[in-house]
Amino acid sequence: MTTKLSRIRIAMLPWPKPPGGPRFAACHFCDTLHEAAPVPEGVAARCVRCGALLYQNRPASLVRASAFSLAALLLMVVVHLFPFLTMDAASLRRHLTLVGAAMALVDEGSPVLGVSIVLFTMVAPVMLAGGLVYVCGPLLFGRIAPGAVQVAKWMHHSEPWNMVEVFQLGVLVSLLKLAKMADVHFGIGFWAFTGVMLCMAAAVAGIDRDELWDRMEVAK
Amino acid sequence: MIRGPLRKAAACGLAGCHTCGRVAPVALGRCPRCDTRLHLRKPASVQRSLALMIAAAALYIPSHLLPVMTVVELGDVSHNTIISGMLQFWSDGAYPMAIVIFTASILIPFLKIVTLCWLCAAATGRVRPSPAMLGKMYWFTELLGRWSMVDIFVLGIVVSLMQLGNYMTITPGPGALAFAAVVVLTMFAAMSFEPRMLWDRLDELATAPDPNTSQPKS
Repeated sequence: MTTKLSRIRIAMLPWPKPPGGPRFAACHFCDTLHEAAPVPEGVAARCVRCGALLYQNRPASLVRASAFSLAALLLMVVVHLFPFLTMDAASLRRHLTLVGAAMALVDEGSPVLGVSIVLFTMVAPVMLAGGLVYVCGPLLFGRIAPGAVQVAKWMHHSEPWNMVEVFQLGVLVSLLKLAKMADVHFGIGFWAFTGVMLCMAAAVAGIDRDELWDRMEVAK
Repeated sequence: MIRGPLRKAAACGLAGCHTCGRVAPVALGRCPRCDTRLHLRKPASVQRSLALMIAAAALYIPSHLLPVMTVVELGDVSHNTIISGMLQFWSDGAYPMAIVIFTASILIPFLKIVTLCWLCAAATGRVRPSPAMLGKMYWFTELLGRWSMVDIFVLGIVVSLMQLGNYMTITPGPGALAFAAVVVLTMFAAMSFEPRMLWDRLDELATAPDPNTSQPKS
């Protein structure tokens, strides 16, 4: 019982201050140097010169980041089990899946485009969500996973290539394109991927980069 | 917060890590927290950005002239470009879709190339921008470029669904590959650009005497 309670306490502990004197924050946009003073929960620190975001203290950040990224990972399994769209045309029924869209491009002579769909809608989101689960999960208990620093680096690099929401816009555009020649319906895969999109956005916005790295440094 | 005059991290020999944001003396060589190589400014950022932008601009033309998809309907072969697909939406009355395609596929890549070239000119001191303007333009290039990928995803979806044997088949065309390359190249160009150089230039202009008002020494 006591161990359970203390674990919960670790998970809800505020943003820790890494040892070793005052910390600085340099604005990523104009390079103005600031002393990295702690801010209360829900407050963002902005650059005094250009107003760009320096860091922000999100409430329950570790719990949110790990919960939402775990939910995104689970939904990604669902995405691959059900079709995004079902189309009835010319007495044929065809299903759209993520793998199907990528394979169609490979089969029809554009392997590079097929691979890019795999990278932007499958590999990058899994790296981002999986990385967050792997790094934040053990941090909930005040521990650091082996190789977490390397995983966190990959995670940051994969972030701009995560195009889940762009793919969803693509599904909507295709739906309208095809609706006049065939009968097209949404499938469970589409709604699951919408869930992935929302969970990933919540997970990434749930924890600040500086806070994640400070927590990793303290847990080391 | 620091009181007194604002100082730059670079002026103190400090560098913010590209990956984890930790501010550390650049003399260390590598970030003490995540082992990423430290730089005061990203190396050769203007050259890299410009090289990638030139490649993107060169591919932008074939990406709109070559067909992105070939439709074979009951033996009739037709080649569609991005622009003809957009005009099709427009003539069908699907105006919002035509606007989405126009924005994502034609306007954003073009504006991104123009904006980044302009930012490179500002970073090397060839144009004098206002700081507020710079912020907006940099935000635009960072955030909007990825949405252009929507056309490639639409292509994958349509090709995957429209394999109806003799009735209708759709295959990807060479324009799509060029277009995807434009999107990826502009994303890399935006990533290799160094926004802090813009502020370095602004500070130089602020401290340097204005040639129009300074008195010539006799």
